[in-house]
Amino acid sequence: MNATCTGKLVWITGGAGYLGSAITRALDAQGAKVLCLDLPGRAETLVREQGLKSTVPVALDVNDAAALPAALDGLIAAHGLPDGVAHLAFASSSGRRLEDLPAGEFQKTFDQALTPTFVLCRALAEKMKLRGTGSIVLFASMYGVVAPDPRIYAAPLTPNPIDYGASKAAMLQLMRYLAVHYGPHGVRFNCITPGPFPNPAVQSAHPGFVGELAKKTPLNRIGRNDEIAGPALFLLSDASSYVTGHSLVVDGGWTAW
Amino acid sequence: MPESSPFSLAGKVVVQFGGTGLLGRALVDALGAAGATLVVASRDQATIEKGIATSRAAGRQLHAEQVDITNEASVAGLRDRVITTHGRIDGLVFNAVSRPMRGERDTVAAWEESMKVNATGLFLTLRTIADAMGAQPAGGSIVNIASIQGMVGANPWLYEGTAMGTVPDYFFHKGGMLNLTRHYASLYGPKKVRVNVVSPGGIYNPDKPQAAPFLERYGQMTMLGRMAEAREIGGAVVFLLSDAASYVTGVNLPVDGGYTAK
Repeated sequence: MNATCTGKLVWITGGAGYLGSAITRALDAQGAKVLCLDLPGRAETLVREQGLKSTVPVALDVNDAAALPAALDGLIAAHGLPDGVAHLAFASSSGRRLEDLPAGEFQKTFDQALTPTFVLCRALAEKMKLRGTGSIVLFASMYGVVAPDPRIYAAPLTPNPIDYGASKAAMLQLMRYLAVHYGPHGVRFNCITPGPFPNPAVQSAHPGFVGELAKKTPLNRIGRNDEIAGPALFLLSDASSYVTGHSLVVDGGWTAW
Repeated sequence: MPESSPFSLAGKVVVQFGGTGLLGRALVDALGAAGATLVVASRDQATIEKGIATSRAAGRQLHAEQVDITNEASVAGLRDRVITTHGRIDGLVFNAVSRPMRGERDTVAAWEESMKVNATGLFLTLRTIADAMGAQPAGGSIVNIASIQGMVGANPWLYEGTAMGTVPDYFFHKGGMLNLTRHYASLYGPKKVRVNVVSPGGIYNPDKPQAAPFLERYGQMTMLGRMAEAREIGGAVVFLLSDAASYVTGVNLPVDGGYTAK
């Protein structure tokens, strides 16, 4: 069993975000070769501010399905085919009540979150299968498993949007389908399914809401972003060589009671 | 594995129940290699002593203890000895299992014997150790070893033309283990005790290989085309015991090559 990613080439989409940056930092600390993919400026800033040693920042909008195949080919040509991928880029409507959500905005979440994920996974897995190894970790959410409890979203907050939850539920099934399809070729697909990890801005703006989130977990607290890194390293590393098609829930027990 | 790994168990006191079987020995190896101070508790202390002698010579922190998990005083005694000697209990791996039933038509007495160890023994062990962990400021982490046979029913096709078969008690107590895990995860969560399950798929036995037709068919039931190797379960157990999993509780982590995901 080798539980480290030292020397592995790993891509992280959304790699400069609140959860993604924790994974990028952990992989960099282990001596993995990391490609941190995020919107222009974000990955560069992370690498500079954190003094990352083995991380290459890449400015790329991975939510653009049409531009993705050419961009992926370019990255593979420049950096090689990754051993592992953590795909955190997502899309969501924001701040609208369900009653007011235009159909176009609902559709947009799927176009930006789901179709590019399919394009990305297929393109990489088709190349990984020739090599016979690969580990791709998709990011779902507890809100792809259970619905948000409207009682904890007091105005001005609106419940976590329906398009987000539906796209995360779809992510779980995408993962299972791909795990079955590419399993015989040695390419593993799993999901990490995070529970409550509100970002620092939400934490400072809405302390009462954070308290409500904490109460929904047996551990009685929200997650810290570094607590998503261990699960990601496990699924990316050879420590999980017989784990595929699984949703690894990291939610402090939110969905267990 | 270097001690700087987020999966390191260096400095952690872990008690593993059951360590003489194929999986138990592999877990002892994985936990020892991850740096745990490991107490292996079994009905049969002599066999454990023999099994860990080589690893201990290699510098691993291994100790053997005798325990009868059907006896509350025996489990409490073990708990007290570990805390007296090592100061605390950070991790528990429940890998003890008894397989008294020989087939689907075996006697009620055999079923009852199974329940004494696999149901009552599990409950006693979890409650006793979780209480001790809950009294510690840092809490603890419990990993129960279940099976995919606690998640799905048997597929008789796998066993056709072989001497292999199924026993009903196993499907019952491994299924029960899953929800007892969630129950204790919710009960002890506020005390920083995490409780999770690892559910292995079938494990290949290199010393006494399963029947060839079974291996062939079993491979077809997984996405990776093969049974697990015993060493492949340890990664999941070490992960859940370690601080890398500090926000993971109440989950079932199958290590089954995708058997239950299709």
